[in-house]
Order: sequence, then C-alpha cells, then structure tokens
Amino acid sequence: MSLKNSVWVKDGDRKEWNRLILSVASGKGGTGKTSVAASMAKSLGYCQFIDYDVEAPNAHFFLKPDIKNEEVVKIKQPYFLSGTGADFSRCAEFCHYNAVAYVNGKVVFFPDLCHGCGGCLLVGPQGSVREKDVVVGKVMKGKAEPGIDFLMGELIPGNLRTISIQNKLEGYINRDDTVIIDCPPGTSCPMVAAVKNSDYCILVTEPTPFGLNDLEISLEVLKNLNIPHGVIINRDGIGDNAVEDFCSERDISILEKIPNDLKIAEAYSEGKTMIEIMEQWKERFLRVVEKIEKKAG
Amino acid sequence: MIVAISSSGTDLGSAIDPRFGRCAYYIVYDLDNDSFKAIENESRMATGGAGIQAAQAVAGMKAGAVITTNIGPNAFRVLEAAGIKVYSGITGTVEKAIAEFKKGSLGKSASPNVAEKFGMGQGRGQKGME
Repeated sequence: MSLKNSVWVKDGDRKEWNRLILSVASGKGGTGKTSVAASMAKSLGYCQFIDYDVEAPNAHFFLKPDIKNEEVVKIKQPYFLSGTGADFSRCAEFCHYNAVAYVNGKVVFFPDLCHGCGGCLLVGPQGSVREKDVVVGKVMKGKAEPGIDFLMGELIPGNLRTISIQNKLEGYINRDDTVIIDCPPGTSCPMVAAVKNSDYCILVTEPTPFGLNDLEISLEVLKNLNIPHGVIINRDGIGDNAVEDFCSERDISILEKIPNDLKIAEAYSEGKTMIEIMEQWKERFLRVVEKIEKKAG
Repeated sequence: MIVAISSSGTDLGSAIDPRFGRCAYYIVYDLDNDSFKAIENESRMATGGAGIQAAQAVAGMKAGAVITTNIGPNAFRVLEAAGIKVYSGITGTVEKAIAEFKKGSLGKSASPNVAEKFGMGQGRGQKGME
C-alpha cells in the first residue's frame, strides 16, 4: 500500500507503518510532552517532527537538528497617515480589540492589540490607512538523526502573534510522511492550532491532581474537535491513582506508563531522550504507535 | 471645566472605583455650575482594551481631567493625546475628591501607575478590590 512508511526496528527487520499525524499534547506544562514526542520520533527514526510550541520551543535540544534554512514570518499591520487631516473615527469604532483610538483628531495605535484583520483599511478614510509588513518570528527547517525532517517555529519574545507562526508551520505538514507534532501547553488557541490537523492525539499527564485537572480540560477540547486520543502517564509512581481511575471509568486508553526514574531526569538535563539511555523504550514507543494505528487507522 | 471620576455608584457619596477602564460609572462633574451626571461605563466588560475605549468615551464627555485610583499605560496614552489631565492614586468618596480638586490639593500624574490589564477580571463577576 502506498500509504506506508517504513522504519528500522532492529537490524534487518524493516517494519511498515501507516502514515499518521500524531500530536502530543497536555494541559499542564512540564508533564513530558517534548520528552515523549522526541523519544517517539527517535524510535520511529524516519518521520517529520514539528515543534508547534513557538512561544517556548525546546525539542531541538533533544533532536539536535542541523538547521538548513530559516524563513521569517511577517504579518500585516496598519499605519495611519494622520497628517492628511482625515477622520479616523470609524477605524476606532470598528476595531473590536480597541487597537485604534481616535481623540482630538489624533490616532493612537496599539500594535499589541491589533489582530491584523485589515478592517480599519476598509472603513477608514480612503488612502489614509495603509499596511506594512512586520516580522513576528521565524520558522526553521533542518534534518535530525537518523532520518527526521525537523521543523520549528520561534515567536519574537513579547510578541502575541503565536498563531501566525503556527499557520506558517501548518503549510509545511508533510502528509506523505508520519508526522509528530509537539504541542504547546494549555488548551487555548495555540494548542487547538497544533492538534487540529492530527489523526490522533497523545495526552501526556502526570498522576497528580494538577495533572488530572488539566487532562480533563484537554479531553474536552479533543472531544469538541473529534480527535481520537489516548493517554501516556509520565512519572508513574508519584501522586495517586486518580488519573488511571478516571481513564478506566471513561474508557480512555492508557497507551504507556513512564516510571518516575532519576536516570530519565538526568538524561533530560543533558539533552538526551530516554531511548538513548534505555534501549528497551524504543520498542515500547513503537508499540504505542502500533496501538494508535489500530485505533486511528 | 468638566472632571470625570471613576465611581462605584451614581451619587457623590459613592466610593471612587479603583479601576479607570473597568469602573462601574463615571461621575461627570461640571465645575462651572457644580452639576453632575453619572454615566454607566460601557467599556467595563470589553474583552480587551477597556482602558482605551473608556479614555475615548471620557474624551467624548469633553472632560479636562480624570480622577481615579489606578490607570494603565494604554488609557494614559489616549488621555494624554486628548489633552486630558490625569489625577491617579486617589481614593475615598467622589465628593471628597472633587473638594480636594477644587482646592488644588490633588497632584497631577505624569505617568500610568499600574500595568496593562491590571483591572481585568475584577469587573467580570470576580470580587474586586475592597
């Protein structure tokens, strides 16, 4: 079948995978999204990996890509030719985000509040409202060992146009490849933008009341988006059984449990994924992909 | 001259509402004839930029000065552009503030005194500052 992607599991044992877009998300930050996503990409060996957490990208610390090209991301921003004596009051009235104020014949513009809709150009005095390109960040492409097509985005710190960078990444999703998407934390727009194209979403959580609380919120989002999903429990052994009880009550599959192991934390602090120190985890992550294939495929 | 005071109520005995952009009312006081009216603040529920919207509304009331407790940088910029003087950090009743303003004992503010979005959340069903 043409929709197959192959990967080396052991020497000489080539295994085929269905092409899937897998997102790795979690409500709570710091539960191990990037650890899981990077480990999974390394286990697969050949895939596309996209770090969608453009506000704080960190997957490159683990996959160590050789970045070959960078592309700046620009947005449109209005500017106002106020010397013309034109009346900009309609721009101020129109702007839902109050990015434009008009008092005493003066325009006061707040770029941080502007969503770039272009409405002020349409309703304002003709020719007196113009647009210019403003750089908000960049996307970077490269290769990571052994055969990973690596992509990441980076928003200029303090800038609020997260989605603009993510939209640029979205255009590079390779549907002919298995894709791993490392999502930003939380459940707001940037997370939704990251999971919306995926065939399956892995929610990484820790077995604590905080983990469970944010897991529940993330599940609501995935249900609304109709995305099949399962859970990986990280730091298993700490906290309580509430996450497992919750999942079994609701028939949500627990794909894997990663123990709370100091060795994993030490490897992490050196920029290594767990499969680099515990070879057996490569097989285990591949089995997770196999399980997902059955569910999503 | 007209002075706009952020107020928690509609009369002069009301306490000053600490949030400029998300206050409940503005008491619009005309010093020339000692009359006033209370105007509901339509910006208090704005999702963003409440201070900017409120500052424009206050400019529309032909106010020459604003008396409030907390004012953020965005509202301050708009009031400055409108040529409206800002007296911030003021607490107590509206009446007391007007009396002090008349005596000239309120100090004009040269800059905002809280960060952006400071008043956010308090006007939306959460408990505000007491």
